[in-house]
Amino acid sequence: MTDATGATSAMASGPAGPQVVVEGLNRSFGGVPAVRDVSFTVGTGEIHGICGHNGAGKSTVVKMLSGQLPPDSGRIVIGGRTVVLGSPQVAQRLGVALVDQELSVVPELTVLDNLLLGDVCAPLFNRRRAAVARCRQVLSDMGLDRIRPQQPLSELSLGERQLVEVARALSQNARLVILDEPTATLSDAETGHVFAAIRRVAARGCSVIFVSHRLSEVLELCDAVTVLRDGRKIATTPVGELTVSDLIVQMLGEAPHRLTAARVPDNRPGHSLRIEGLHVPGRLTDFSLTAEAGRVYALAGQLGSGASDVLRALAGLHPRATGRVELRMRAVPFRSPVGAARAGVAFVSNDRKSEGLFLDKPVAANLLATRLPALAPAGVLRPRREQQAARSLAQLVGIAEHRLREPAAALSGGNQQKVFVGRSLCRDDVYALLLDEPTRGVDIGGRAAIHQLLRAAADAGLIVLFASTELEELLELGDVIITMRETRMIARYEGGIDGAALMRDMTQGERAA
Amino acid sequence: MTAPNNDHSRDGAAATGLAEQQANAETAPQMPGRFLARRCTDPLNVVIVLVVLAVIVTGVLTTRFFSVANARAILSSSAWVGITAIGATIVMIAGSAVSLAVSETATVVAMIFLATQQFGLATAIVLALLAGVAVTALQGAVIGFWTANPIVLTIAAGFAISGVATWISGGTTVYPQVTRFNGLNDTPLGLPLAVYVLLVLTAAAQWFLRRTTAGRHMYLIGENPRAARAAGLPVAQVTVIAWATFGFCIAITGVFLAAFNTSANSALGGTLSLDVIAAVLAGGTAIGGGRGSALRTLGGAVLISAISDLLLLRGFSTGIQLLVKGILVAFVVIAVHVRSTRGRQ
Repeated sequence: MTDATGATSAMASGPAGPQVVVEGLNRSFGGVPAVRDVSFTVGTGEIHGICGHNGAGKSTVVKMLSGQLPPDSGRIVIGGRTVVLGSPQVAQRLGVALVDQELSVVPELTVLDNLLLGDVCAPLFNRRRAAVARCRQVLSDMGLDRIRPQQPLSELSLGERQLVEVARALSQNARLVILDEPTATLSDAETGHVFAAIRRVAARGCSVIFVSHRLSEVLELCDAVTVLRDGRKIATTPVGELTVSDLIVQMLGEAPHRLTAARVPDNRPGHSLRIEGLHVPGRLTDFSLTAEAGRVYALAGQLGSGASDVLRALAGLHPRATGRVELRMRAVPFRSPVGAARAGVAFVSNDRKSEGLFLDKPVAANLLATRLPALAPAGVLRPRREQQAARSLAQLVGIAEHRLREPAAALSGGNQQKVFVGRSLCRDDVYALLLDEPTRGVDIGGRAAIHQLLRAAADAGLIVLFASTELEELLELGDVIITMRETRMIARYEGGIDGAALMRDMTQGERAA
Repeated sequence: MTAPNNDHSRDGAAATGLAEQQANAETAPQMPGRFLARRCTDPLNVVIVLVVLAVIVTGVLTTRFFSVANARAILSSSAWVGITAIGATIVMIAGSAVSLAVSETATVVAMIFLATQQFGLATAIVLALLAGVAVTALQGAVIGFWTANPIVLTIAAGFAISGVATWISGGTTVYPQVTRFNGLNDTPLGLPLAVYVLLVLTAAAQWFLRRTTAGRHMYLIGENPRAARAAGLPVAQVTVIAWATFGFCIAITGVFLAAFNTSANSALGGTLSLDVIAAVLAGGTAIGGGRGSALRTLGGAVLISAISDLLLLRGFSTGIQLLVKGILVAFVVIAVHVRSTRGRQ
């Protein structure tokens, strides 16, 4: 307890009692309840996980705890005092720090400025030297010794920026730190640093609320886990009594069935994707692979390993790429996206928002975006034909028909991703489907649905190639797994792969543990 | 705009995965009502309805405003700007913002049209249209293939075009050797030919944007150029098509200007560049691309003419007319902006 305003805490609950008490929180939107009677407590120094699939109410709870949203009813007690968190500023003054799932750092500013940004407790006139020294300390706690405080943030990778954001929240001497999906964009090595930093602040007596889709991480890090479903609390369980499948059952009410692998590859050479010596300066070194139709190829690699660059190069998004790529015996002109698309390559980026969907356009338009020429042989579209195509695609990917006219932005993350993937399915002119992090930011139910779609696409004769950093996904979906590290291919596995071997290939030399 | 934050605020229901069925049941009956509500509170529609109401009320109080002759005058005066504005709409929807070289291009086209009269009217029209399309499509190619900034590029192009025109014409006024174009100034059924051309172009552009692959690609490219590129859509080619169409429209305006004035000097284009932008924006097409329509632009052009006409009838000066035009455009642009940012929250 380092915060000066915590003086009253001893009165009500004593030093070892719960630091944060949430009692009977309710909140509805337009008459529809999003959070119903949710209560839990977080002890001093406790790391408390909150799980639930999209729409379960996690983010609404987080918003109420961080002052972004007033509850309809219920009580929040911090340090023994009932508080009204009228605004994010008030919440911050009361010792609540939030790491949002959206990056809220400013790329144009330096690392140091970003660390000071938005800290309402920062003194008006900063002592520069002290600030720099503290910044160095914070960075090295996060395993970012190689980063200088004066470096502009734009020089950092996306993962490093996320680390800076986490560092900012952890360095505010808060009583309660809330992390909403902080590791979604991080590699496992980076995640390790974040976890170490979280454990350090918890050891200092700070309470931590950790919201994540990555259940194994939740179990690794947290002391107890509260699961929400449809706005209600299902249970709060100490992690000692929990397994991943227990959590999934709590979250979904039933365990999703695992996909079974029984498929014969179509090894006719005329149907394969042959990559020879694919090279992107500074990002990918001499990558070769022959991928056969009907199978799913998984590229396992952290950020910067080159896994995602294989896909981007094939999709024509690395203009400086060199090498030789043949799809169905025809050379792929992979230095332009148009050429790659014409050759039969479809690409699903890991950045759904800015490089994926047309968010203001209706769902139907998004599903049809890349297949208009096929629907209009003479360049002229027929509305009825379009509607039919959109409807059958919506059915395929599991989006309700009446939502076809809504803008894609109105869908949840999981449904948006289904639309994004569905855009490239059932196309006669696509032979290879490339996906970068196909289920990033997607809830468990949506994730299973997307995995099924990809499996079905492979069964229908597509070459499916995806990159991921998540072990569970790689093992579940990949028929062939290719591990990558530091711009190079490390190994290729077919069947009988164990997670520890994958992890070793992906992280050796990075994570000392 | 990630899922958990927004599910509730938008749908009021958990709308993914296993909760889908339930969510659908809840939201389905509300659809038409919510749709209507959204339309009525759409700031753009509010602004336009208010402006049209204001025009009607003032018009009723103004003698001679509601008369056939005045309606003809309004349509006629909107025709030249309107024709080019249809092309500008296509370019704006495709994400290329605006062109500031419109006046110069129209002027040069008019000069070419007049200078080639001795080869026959048809030849002169074809040459004039080709020149307009070529010059503008070239700018489109630079924007599409090298992602040049359209505003900067068209400022440069405007100077270059009028420079070349002045150089070749020697800076003097161009007169035709023979006059065969009087037919272009005909007024069948009391309306200038240009009005009919405007209506046909509007219908054609509307159809092109909504029903052709190229048109629909323009909406997608305008809304999210990065996504369009990553999806392998032919961004550069579509951009060139948009600009070529724009050039065609500018050239038609140039031909009508030439026929009406029977001579052309470097000031012929006047403030066409900015008038065109005003008409497109007043119609509610988004400057950032991805939204808008030819019909809306037709409405914008007619609305601006009607307001100018109304102010003229009530005896206001040209200065006031310009001021009101500016205020109108500002309000519509703000409304479009409010609408698009509201949709994103």
